[in-house]
Amino acid sequence: MEQEAPDDTRLVEEALQGSHVSFQLLVERYEQRIFNLIRHYTRNPVEIEDLAQETFLKVYRRLSSFQGQSAFYTWLYRIAVNTILDSLKRRGRSPVQAVEDLEAVPHAPSVACPSPSATLEREELARITHDVLEELPEIFRTVLVLREYEDMAYQDIADLLGISIGTVESRLFRARARFKERLLQKHPEFGSDS
Amino acid sequence: MECQNARSMIPSYLDGELSEAQAGPLRQHLLGCHPCRGSAQDLKNVKRWFADAPAAIVPAGFAARVARRAQQGDTGELVETLSTPRSDEDRGRLLSFVLACTAAAAVLLLVLAIGLRQFGLPQTDRLQAEPPAPQLGKALEELDRLNRADLNRADRAPHVLPKKP
Repeated sequence: MEQEAPDDTRLVEEALQGSHVSFQLLVERYEQRIFNLIRHYTRNPVEIEDLAQETFLKVYRRLSSFQGQSAFYTWLYRIAVNTILDSLKRRGRSPVQAVEDLEAVPHAPSVACPSPSATLEREELARITHDVLEELPEIFRTVLVLREYEDMAYQDIADLLGISIGTVESRLFRARARFKERLLQKHPEFGSDS
Repeated sequence: MECQNARSMIPSYLDGELSEAQAGPLRQHLLGCHPCRGSAQDLKNVKRWFADAPAAIVPAGFAARVARRAQQGDTGELVETLSTPRSDEDRGRLLSFVLACTAAAAVLLLVLAIGLRQFGLPQTDRLQAEPPAPQLGKALEELDRLNRADLNRADRAPHVLPKKP
């Protein structure tokens, strides 16, 4: 009979008792998701690895503060997102925009959003989306990444970012409008096809 | 359901955030409302751009390396410091520091140059030479005395013209 994989809380407890193997198991369980998450903020493989490493080292240092009130992966994601955003800030790579501009209700572009062409290769589609995301203010990029790529529920995004569900909804609304606007600006050829 | 209400619910509906009790009436509305169906289609198109991103590559042995470093008490701070390129803000601060140092060095050089010049200039308004030192004065008096003695001897001697060969 196959042995059931230990749950996250048990691995955390064992890691806190000094089990090197348990912590390694936790890292193995989430490394792919954390690398995928960071990849939406930087394309440099060395930076991705550095940020992933910094995230997991922070997790290890703070294990004793994990209360188990939220899922381990929500707690881990919170540390990862904060690590990424701190790094963006330090490197001056977060698109800067005035707060009032961010909070303004966008004018929905009158042109419909184009659907990606079926002939677009998977990598090409991801590259175009990434290029557009890169130009969005960080708060919009983060909600889109968490919702669309990480498939997180509104409540999890709210917990992770420390905001209300209503704020998650309004940010997503604005983020999608901005995404569509920038996509059509950068790639008018897709708009004319629709 | 009114269109305004329906449109505000479309994102939550497509994100799977509505209960069946909320989603049912919206679906009914969409079936009969062409403009609202267009809004839903528009949002679906936005979401399609995020589909199916290729997975990032995790380097082999990453978990083992991180676990080992964590147990060794590595905080990851050194990695960050070494690998982080300087931001524009950091570069600006560095430039300001270098400029301040250059300005301070220039002021110091100016002060030194003025000071050295001051040392080289006369300390009073009298531009005559200093009186000769006592030993030098004595020597000059002796020289005068010898000159006068030579002159006296020359005056007393007979003036004889040299003979022609």
